[in-house]
Amino acid sequence: MRLDLAGKSFAGRSILGPLRLSVERGQRLAILGPSGVGKSTLLRILTGLDRDFQGRLDGGERLAAVFQEPTLLPWRRAVANVTLPTGCDDATARVLMAEVGLAGHEDKFPRQLSLAQQRRLSLARAFAASPDILLMDEPFASLDPDTAGRMIDLTAMLLDRSGAGLVLVTHDAAEPSRLGAVPVRLSGNPAILQTDEASQPPA
Amino acid sequence: MSDATPQKRPGLVPGILSVLMLLALWMAVAGLADDPRTMPSPLAVAARIVDLAVTGELWLHAGATLLRVLASFAIAMALGIALGLWMGRSQRADHWLNPALVIALNIPTLVVIVLAYIWIGLNEVAAVTAVALNKIPLVTVMLREGGRALRPDLDDMARVFGMGWWSRLRHVVLPQLAPHIAAAARAGISLIWKIVLVVEFLGRSNGVGFKIHLLFSSFDVAGVLAWALAFVAVMLLIDIAILRPWEAGANRWRRDEA
Repeated sequence: MRLDLAGKSFAGRSILGPLRLSVERGQRLAILGPSGVGKSTLLRILTGLDRDFQGRLDGGERLAAVFQEPTLLPWRRAVANVTLPTGCDDATARVLMAEVGLAGHEDKFPRQLSLAQQRRLSLARAFAASPDILLMDEPFASLDPDTAGRMIDLTAMLLDRSGAGLVLVTHDAAEPSRLGAVPVRLSGNPAILQTDEASQPPA
Repeated sequence: MSDATPQKRPGLVPGILSVLMLLALWMAVAGLADDPRTMPSPLAVAARIVDLAVTGELWLHAGATLLRVLASFAIAMALGIALGLWMGRSQRADHWLNPALVIALNIPTLVVIVLAYIWIGLNEVAAVTAVALNKIPLVTVMLREGGRALRPDLDDMARVFGMGWWSRLRHVVLPQLAPHIAAAARAGISLIWKIVLVVEFLGRSNGVGFKIHLLFSSFDVAGVLAWALAFVAVMLLIDIAILRPWEAGANRWRRDEA
């Protein structure tokens, strides 16, 4: 997946400046930056949800996303929330749910799960799609440190096993290293990518 | 919709009592009027209903009416949902189609029926079309509200995961529209059967409306009431046996099960 962005603006106001970014299977990239800088906008462009920008997005990889909110279908049971969007079979969904610690909750509706459980379900759904690249938008925000930590370890384990690439958007500088992701910083107005000297991002 | 009322249910008692009180009132008025021709007693009407049921006439004509109700209901719901969803999701479609919708909402039922019979002919297609045309704008308006309130985050999710259009419609869109569809269906079915009677009255040779036409020519009030009440009972049965259970099933996810 390769993005060659010339610029992105909302209602005449420039949000993102020129930037280049590419990710493939096995590569992990974390986009850091203060809130409101345009991280989520950049991620929406990468997911293909926002096509209104100047530049080019190439790719044909299978994508999956973990959003800021769990974004589950409240009217479908937990296991159907994994199978329906991804097209994976029931058995695979149950195995993944067990791996994220949701064994026994398969037939519950999302509102019967806690927020942390809903987030883990949303993680299971993302991996059920067997993506080439996983896109995550602040997936650990608003979780208590313990739960967030467990969720990060779980994500790292699933990434290791599936070999999927990762684009993580976060404001927490500690998360990238725990996931083995190369951090890049989005800042400025309009925002562009700044490289930390310590680690070279994949160009 | 009974989302927020899991308190104790009133049960059947008030409903049955209020029907009995209506019957008593009717008995009293019929007794006072003392004119069985224009104000027959409930017993006389009940006897007529039994008569109609025994001879089989009831099932023949009520069946014909019911088929027309179901056909126009299905057409009106399908087109109304599609149109309403489109107008709710696309501002452009809304701007362009809204004037036509307002006009359609205000065309008198009778005009649509008469024109349908003239333009299409005195046949079944014209009858069903006329009823459906009367109902489509109402369904559209109710579903447009639902279309406007669809959650964009679930839309994004469906797009990222590449859900097909049918799966999206079935699992993402329709469940969100279910309360609006249920409301449109409940409001629709009672309106539709009343319009079907007018359509039959004006230009069909079977059905409840046709029978009422005949009885009207002979001022047979007991007969008119017998047909009307028999059909009300059929429609109530549909509401209780089909629409309510479906609505309850569609809303199951809102309740805590554990």
